[in-house]
Amino acid sequence: MKRQRLTPYLLLLPGLFPIVAFMSLVVGMAVSQSIGYFNFAGDDRFSLEFWEGMLSQNQFWRVFWYSARIAILSSLISVMLAYPVALWLRRPFPGSDLISAMIKAPLLVHGLVAAFLFVNFISFQGFLNVALVKLGLIDRPIRMQNDSYAIGVVILQVWKNMPLAFLVITGSVRAIGDDILDAARDLGAGSLARLRRVILPLTLRALQAALILIFIGAAGDWSFQVVAGPTNIQSMAQFMHRVQSDNAAHGWNEAAVVAVMLMALSLFGSLTLAGLMQLIVRRMGR
Amino acid sequence: MTTLSRSTLFWQRQLLILLALAVFFVALVLPFCMAVLWSLVDPSTPWAYPAVLPPVLSLRRWVEIWTTSALPQAMYNSYTLAACVSILTLLLAMPTAYAFGRMEFPGKAVAQMLTLVPLILPGFVSAIFFSALLIELGLYSRFLGILIGHTVGLLPYAIRLLSVSFSMVRQDLIDAARDLGASRMVVFRTAYLPVLKPGLLAALIIVFILSIEEFAISYIVGAPDFTTVPTILYSYLGYNFIRPNAAAVSLILVVPNVLLMLIAERLLKSADPAVMTGKG
Amino acid sequence: MAQASTALSVRSASLRYGTFQALSEISFEASQGQLVTLLGPSGCGKTTLLKAIAGFIPLDGGTVEIKGQDMQDVPPEKRDTAMCFQSYALFPHLTVADNIGFGLRQRRLGAQDIATRVAAVAEQVGLSSQLGKLPGQLSGGQQQRVALARAMAVRPGVMLFDEPLSNLDAKLRDHVRMEIRALQREHGFTAVYVTHDQAEALAMSDLVIVMRAGVIEQMGRPEDIYRFPANRFVADFIGTANIMPLRILDVDRTRGEYKVSSPLGEAVVRSDTPPVSDHIYACWRPEDAQITKPTADAQNRFEVRVTTRTFLGSQCDFSVHPLGDATNRYRIQTHGFAPVSEGETIGVVIAPDAIRFLAEAVR
Repeated sequence: MKRQRLTPYLLLLPGLFPIVAFMSLVVGMAVSQSIGYFNFAGDDRFSLEFWEGMLSQNQFWRVFWYSARIAILSSLISVMLAYPVALWLRRPFPGSDLISAMIKAPLLVHGLVAAFLFVNFISFQGFLNVALVKLGLIDRPIRMQNDSYAIGVVILQVWKNMPLAFLVITGSVRAIGDDILDAARDLGAGSLARLRRVILPLTLRALQAALILIFIGAAGDWSFQVVAGPTNIQSMAQFMHRVQSDNAAHGWNEAAVVAVMLMALSLFGSLTLAGLMQLIVRRMGR
Repeated sequence: MTTLSRSTLFWQRQLLILLALAVFFVALVLPFCMAVLWSLVDPSTPWAYPAVLPPVLSLRRWVEIWTTSALPQAMYNSYTLAACVSILTLLLAMPTAYAFGRMEFPGKAVAQMLTLVPLILPGFVSAIFFSALLIELGLYSRFLGILIGHTVGLLPYAIRLLSVSFSMVRQDLIDAARDLGASRMVVFRTAYLPVLKPGLLAALIIVFILSIEEFAISYIVGAPDFTTVPTILYSYLGYNFIRPNAAAVSLILVVPNVLLMLIAERLLKSADPAVMTGKG
Repeated sequence: MAQASTALSVRSASLRYGTFQALSEISFEASQGQLVTLLGPSGCGKTTLLKAIAGFIPLDGGTVEIKGQDMQDVPPEKRDTAMCFQSYALFPHLTVADNIGFGLRQRRLGAQDIATRVAAVAEQVGLSSQLGKLPGQLSGGQQQRVALARAMAVRPGVMLFDEPLSNLDAKLRDHVRMEIRALQREHGFTAVYVTHDQAEALAMSDLVIVMRAGVIEQMGRPEDIYRFPANRFVADFIGTANIMPLRILDVDRTRGEYKVSSPLGEAVVRSDTPPVSDHIYACWRPEDAQITKPTADAQNRFEVRVTTRTFLGSQCDFSVHPLGDATNRYRIQTHGFAPVSEGETIGVVIAPDAIRFLAEAVR
C-alpha cells in the first residue's frame, strides 16, 4: 500500500527532477551572481553594488522599456490579428483547412530564417524596394533595414507569433458550442452582444495564455533584434549578452542583474497584461 | 431575400479567402522564392540593383558553401546532437508522462505546472547562466553541455505529448487483456503499443526538430568551437552579412524540418481516438 | 393576416439541402396558449422546423408568422421566441441568475426589474436557492430548469422546446414533463415542443403533428391520433399497433359495417369513414383484444396460439399467431394477471369498432 502511493512520485523523478534542478540552478546562479556570489573575478561576498550600478544607468532603463514596449506591441498586435481570424474559421467551410494550414506555416520557420527572409525582402535591393521602384512609387530604393523605430522587429514578432496566438485561441473558440451561441441569439443578442457577452468571456483564458506566451518570448528576444532591430538600441537579451562578454571584471555580475530584471519583466509584465485583458473583457461583458 | 444574403455571404467569404491567399503569398511564398533565387546567384556576376532578377544562375554557391565552409561539420554536429537529445529526452519523459497520463495523485497539477517552467524562462537567460553553471562545475565539453541544456529544455514538450498518448490508452482494453490472462508483455503489446507508437514517434520527431532549431544554448555554450546549423546561419547574418550563403543555409534549416513536421502531424492525427472511431 | 388568437402560423414551409428535401410544404397553426408537439423519428425534420421557426435556418419557401407578423427577414435575435435547447446551452461563465436574466438584459430592462423577474421565475421553477451558482455546479435536472427559466423569463410569444427531457433519467423526465405542462397551462404561453417520444407527445400536447421525412403524416389531438391513426407509419409510431391487410367482402351502408377477410379470419369492421380501397390496411391496439374461453361465442372471435407471454406487473403481454399461420404475429395485452401459458390456444375478441381502416391501400 505504502509503495503504491509512492509509485507516481518515483515515476515523476526522471522527467521532473532534471527540469526542477536545472531551472533552480540556473535561476539561482543568476540571482546569486547578481549579488556577488559565484564570482569568476575576485572573492565571493554579498554586495548590492551591481544592482546599484546597473539600475542607475540610463542606458539600462532605455533597454528595459524598449524591450517592454516591443513585448507589449507584439503580443497585443498578434492577438488582435489572430482573434478575428480564429472567429472566422470557427466553423469549417470549403477552404478553411487550407487557410489554417497557411496561418500555421510560420511556426515551422526558424526565427533566424524568418529574420533573414524579412531582411532580404526589405533590403536595399530586396523585392519590396524593387517593386516600389518599378511601380513608380519611389525614385530609388530606400533604406528600411534596421529602422530606428523597431517596426521591423515588431513585424517579425507578429509574423512569427500570430500563428501561435491563432493556435491557442482557435482551440477555445471552437470549444464554444453552436447551441450556446444560438441560445444567446435566440434571447436577443446580436453579433456584437454575442461577442461581448458570450464569446470574449469564454475565450478569455486562451487570450491571456496567448498574451503571456508572446510577451515572454518577445521580451527575451535576441535573434530578431540582432538581425533586424535598430542599431542605436539593444534588447534586454542582447544587452545582457554584451555586458557579460564586454565588461571583463564584473560582466557576469552585471549581466546577472539584467537577467533578473528580464525575468521580472517577463513575469510581471505578462501578468499585468493578462490582468488588464481580464478587466477589459469583464467591463465589455457588462 | 434569404437567397440574396446567402450569396453575398458566399462572395464575402471568397474575397476573404483571396485576401488570405495574397497575404500568405507576400508573407511566405515570395520571401522563400527570393531565398531560393539568392542561393542560386552565380558568384562571378553579383545580383545588384537595378537588376530585377539575378543575371546568372548556378549551383556553384551551394558547392562552394559545402566544400569551403564549416556547414558539413555543423550539420553533422546538429544531427548527431539532435538524435542523442531526442532519445535521451524520450527515455526521461516516459515514466513521468505515464504518471501524468494514467495516475491520479496529490500534487499532480503542481507537478504539471512545474514541468512547463522551462518554456517561460527567457532563452538567453537560461543559456548564459547555464554556461556560468558549466564553468562553475568545470564541465568543458561543449557537446555534453548542449546535450544537457537541450534535453532539459525539450523535456516539457515530450512529457506533454506523451502524457496525452498515455491517457488515450483505453483502460477497458488493458482490463480485458489481463482478464484473458495476458502477461505484462502481451498487455503492453496489445493495449499500449498501438496507441503509444504514433505519439512516441511524433514526440521523437518534434524533439529532434526543436533540438536542431535551438539557438540560444547552442550559440552561448557552443560558440565558437562547436557549430550547429543555426549558429552557422547566424554567422552569415551578423556583422558580415553574406546573403547567398545565408539563403542556402536557411533552406537547409527549414526544408527538412518542415517535411519532418508534416510527418509528425500526420502521426499525431492518426493517434487521435476521435479520428479512429470516426466520432467528431 | 392570421387571426388575433393565432400565436404561430407556418405555411408551406419548405427546405431543401441539395437533393435532400428536409421540409416539404409544412403548414400548421398554434393558437394562443396551445402546446403543439412535433413528433417523429430522428431525421424527420422536426428539429429543422423548430430552428426555422426560431430563425436559425432560413426557409427556401413558405412563411412563418408569429402573432400575425411575417418573420421572413427577421433574424433570430429579433424574433419573439425563446428556445429550450436539448443540450440546455447554458452560458458556463454566468451564474444561474445571470443566465436567467440574459434575455432580459438584451431587452434593455433596468437592473431592478431584471432582479425581480429573475427571482420570480426562479421561484416558479424551484431554483431560488441556486441563483448564485454556476451551471457546472448544478445537477442535470437543475440545469434543465435553468434552461426553462431562462426561456420563460423573456415571456416570449412562442416557446420552443427541442427535446428538452432527453438528457434526464426516466423518473425525473416524467416529473419535469408534468411540470412544464403545468407551467405552460398556468402562464398560458404558446409552445412548440419537439420530441421523438410518443408517450411524451400524447401526455402533454394540445395538438400533435406526426412527421416523417420532412412531411406531416398526421395532425390532430393526441386521443384522435391514437385512436384514428391515418396510416401504418402513424399507427406503428404512436403506441403499439397490430397492422393487418384486409379485403372488403361486403358492405352494410346503413349500419356502417363492413365484412372483411383478414389474416385472423373473417371479421366485421364498424367504421364511420369508408375505406379508401377494397384492399386496405387496418390496425387494432393490443389492449382492444379480449381473451375469452375457447368455447365462448361472440362476434369477431378468433382462435390464436400464444407463443410468448411477458408478465409486466400491472399488465400481461402476449405474442400470438393465428392457428396454422406462424408468419403473422400480433400483440395483445391484458390488465392484471391472465392465467394463460405459452403454447396454449386461446380465443380473442376484438370489437368491430376497435379495428380501424387506415387511409392506405395494399399495393
